[in-house]
Amino acid sequence: MTAPADANAGPLESVPGNVGISPPVPLGGTPRPYLPLSAKETETLRGQHAGFASRFIAFIVDCALSIAVFMLVLSAASFAASVLTGSSIHWSRANTWVVVAFFAWEFFYYAYFWTATGKTPGMVLLGVQVVGQDGSSVGTKRGLLRTLAFPLSFLLLGLGFLGILLQRDRRALHDVIADTAVVYSWDAREARLRSLAREGGGRQP
Amino acid sequence: MESIAQGVAERVIDLVVEALDMNALLARIDLNIVLARVDLNQVVDRIDLDEVIDRIDLNQVVDRLDVNRLMARVDINQVLSQVDIEALVKNTDLGALMVSSSSTLATEAVDLGRSHAVSMDDTIARWVSRIRRNHKGRAEPPELPNTPEKP
Repeated sequence: MTAPADANAGPLESVPGNVGISPPVPLGGTPRPYLPLSAKETETLRGQHAGFASRFIAFIVDCALSIAVFMLVLSAASFAASVLTGSSIHWSRANTWVVVAFFAWEFFYYAYFWTATGKTPGMVLLGVQVVGQDGSSVGTKRGLLRTLAFPLSFLLLGLGFLGILLQRDRRALHDVIADTAVVYSWDAREARLRSLAREGGGRQP
Repeated sequence: MESIAQGVAERVIDLVVEALDMNALLARIDLNIVLARVDLNQVVDRIDLDEVIDRIDLNQVVDRLDVNRLMARVDINQVLSQVDIEALVKNTDLGALMVSSSSTLATEAVDLGRSHAVSMDDTIARWVSRIRRNHKGRAEPPELPNTPEKP
């Protein structure tokens, strides 16, 4: 994905003939910001309903993070047991307790972040946030309801997520059940200015 | 002889002027026609504006200005909305200040990642709209209660 051409970019220097060299960098032309978003897009982005890619990537990050923490805790427990009792514990995915503990941990992970701030670590990274359908904060009730309804979107063969693609307000099944929405919460305008500063007058000597 | 003639002429002029009804005469003069004949550009050319300005005491003029009243009539928001912030950041030291104060490699990476994710969102939404051939645009966004999130 490339950055859109800047309308203010200066004219390219002429190249004598086709000699197989790349086009020259515009001399004294206006540099482009490295963000692939236009000024208009960045101004209106915050508060818009977040799309599928942002939400999916945030979910992948959360999965990786929560599983990593869970594995770390299991390893720590195994290590502690080996130190205290002299016999190590071998965790297995077939172990019912491990499965139960895993789902309990996942529930706690999402429920805590959604009820507390509306943002899991993955969502913070991607700059998206769960809010009430009216834009208010999620709150405990809606956060818990969303966490409980979240697996339902998977259990219906993933059909619960189709709403993100097909609905105008990009709400999945668990959003509809919990009366929530996921919106962009990062300041894209500020990010664009930062990129302009970096690429333009802000170059450090 | 010449002095006699001049004296007679002055006396005659005095008598004529005394006999004239100046108000009636002025009433009969069409000032618009008179002004139409005046070449104002020529008049202005003859005025030394530097000398006029030199005679004006600007401090006195400024003292008489009610700055508070003047400022109250200025819509700062409208003025600021006309400022090209992007050009300001690109072409002034403000950009360098922003870079040194807030922009780190991690910040740039996060900005870039988020921007590309948004681009992918829009691309996917366009594909879906084409497939469905039923593009209605996005729904009105909810009003966010919180401040923007920093990377």
